[in-house]
Amino acid sequence: MTTCPRCDSTKAEAVAKSPVQGAWTVYTCPVCFYTWRSTEADKFTEPSKYEPSFKVNQADIPNAIQVPTVPSRTNH
Amino acid sequence: MAYKDFRDFLDTLRKEGQLLTIEDEVMPEPDLGSAGRAINNVSDKSPALLFTNIHGYQNASVAMNVIGSWPNHALMMGLPKNTPVKEQFFEFARRWDNFPVPVKRMDSAPFQEVEINQDVNLFDILPLFRLNQYDGGFYIDKACVISRDPSDPDNFNKQNVGIYRIQVKGRDTLGIQPVPQHDIAVHLRMAEERGENLPVALAIGCEPVITTMAAAPIGYDQSEYEMAGAIQGEPYKVFTLPGTNLDVPWGAEFILEGEILAGVREFEGPFGEFTGHYSGGRSMPVIRIKRVYHRKNPIFEHLYIGMPWTETDYMVGVNTCVPMYQQLKDAFPNEIVAVNAMYTHGLVAIISTKKRYGGFAKAVGMRAMTTPHGLGYCKLVIVVDETVDPFNLPQVMWALSTKMHPAHDVIILPDMSVLPLDPGSNPAGISHKMILDATTPVAPETRGHYTQPLDAPLATEKWEKIFQDLLSNQ
Ligand SMILES: Cc1cc2nc3c(=O)[nH]c(=O)nc-3n(C[C@H](O)[C@H](O)[C@H](O)COP(=O)(O)O)c2cc1C
Ligand SMILES: [Mn+2]
Ligand SMILES: [Zn+2]
Repeated sequence: MTTCPRCDSTKAEAVAKSPVQGAWTVYTCPVCFYTWRSTEADKFTEPSKYEPSFKVNQADIPNAIQVPTVPSRTNH
Repeated sequence: MAYKDFRDFLDTLRKEGQLLTIEDEVMPEPDLGSAGRAINNVSDKSPALLFTNIHGYQNASVAMNVIGSWPNHALMMGLPKNTPVKEQFFEFARRWDNFPVPVKRMDSAPFQEVEINQDVNLFDILPLFRLNQYDGGFYIDKACVISRDPSDPDNFNKQNVGIYRIQVKGRDTLGIQPVPQHDIAVHLRMAEERGENLPVALAIGCEPVITTMAAAPIGYDQSEYEMAGAIQGEPYKVFTLPGTNLDVPWGAEFILEGEILAGVREFEGPFGEFTGHYSGGRSMPVIRIKRVYHRKNPIFEHLYIGMPWTETDYMVGVNTCVPMYQQLKDAFPNEIVAVNAMYTHGLVAIISTKKRYGGFAKAVGMRAMTTPHGLGYCKLVIVVDETVDPFNLPQVMWALSTKMHPAHDVIILPDMSVLPLDPGSNPAGISHKMILDATTPVAPETRGHYTQPLDAPLATEKWEKIFQDLLSNQ
């Protein structure tokens, strides 16, 4: 488990390692779905350096508007 | 003439000097996104890019900017690469009238060379990367997404091929952005009303004609494949994915097969969009991928998207002007001359028209706003005389500066519909719209001193020809 640079959840995990061994690792966050590669600049990989205006507050995630909205079930 | 597949088109680009192969090692970030941005900053005749040495990958190839200039767009249509945009527009419109051209069905496809149907990990299969700095993740933004109408699944014409942004969110999980006005959103709504998942296929690395049609605003029950046949002048080749009723482009490099999950919405984005702004984070549908097919040594095609102009603007330029032109001609067949709806996908459009009587040009502007595409775009429509070339912006500026009278020619329509991605819309999806009538007033609207328009000296055309010949022989 790793800390997500964007929403600070501690649930991020490695999803891929580079085919050339040791070059990089890709992580994703199951809370805000941020994805990053270990070789990116630290402003994209370190929670304290991620651009504040693009940080995601975990509490806001359930309130994000739906595009498109889920229609109600009809019977066919 | 038709391109067999993506590789065939890349070969043509290479022969025409419109493909730059970069064999030096590059970093996935920030090099690939930066290069996609930079190539359109430095030239408007820019080549496609093919990267063959990406840090950490073995044998990965990434192609970008494939339709990212007017020469490449001309070659997409099989025209000489120096064909002027206006001529590309009229040729596209001419071929459009040959719709529909029935498809050619194939028994097997090159992408069946490799099939992965368990433990799919898209991060291992595709050389994915971040485009813009604050994109929420790695995207697939040039896939043709294929789906069927769940209420009429055997109807080939209602099968849809469209381009929608796709975020790779997990090993086998994607997010997708179906704008409610678009066909895939219609399919998804029907499926969700039934409580059913919507089967989809994503085709990545296709020859450029189907990609162009997938990004064109054609009718709900018009087949993008049959329109691609009209544009390339030959039946379009499709292959029915085994175990599905989805027809996919035969020559694709990669096919991802899966389903949009009914009733599921999940946080997606933000993503740098064609408006030159980030989209914000929204809750969007989710695709689960079950199976992947690809060719040996597959080429991953992607594009840069952001502040215009980028490849996206070349892709949705002519293919958006032409349907709007056809729809306006349906209403006013003797008057409409040409439509340039190329600015930020037609948020600004310029229409060249003859006039029947005073006030006519304003009606043309209003009609543009009520075309299918205009409902979400055409925030500003500039109407010019039939003698003004709408693709020639200095001429359009001349018309605005001399023909437009602010007291008579500025029409503002309050609170109209616009696409929610327009960063100025407030609330998102609502904006005032404006018509600027830059045509010469005609009776009964008699005003201004327009009776003495200036003609060029008598032998000008002769001299144009002389100079063109002299200059082209240099
Ligand atoms: C690069 C690119 C990205 C696009 N992204 C989206 C998107 O995320 N959502 C969407 O609804 N349309 C998107 N479009 C626009 C649609 O592809 C286009 O409007 C098309 O006409 C829709 O086809 P349809 O009416 O068959 O759905 C994109 C187009 C391009 C070229
Ligand atoms: Mn469609
Ligand atoms: Zn997160």
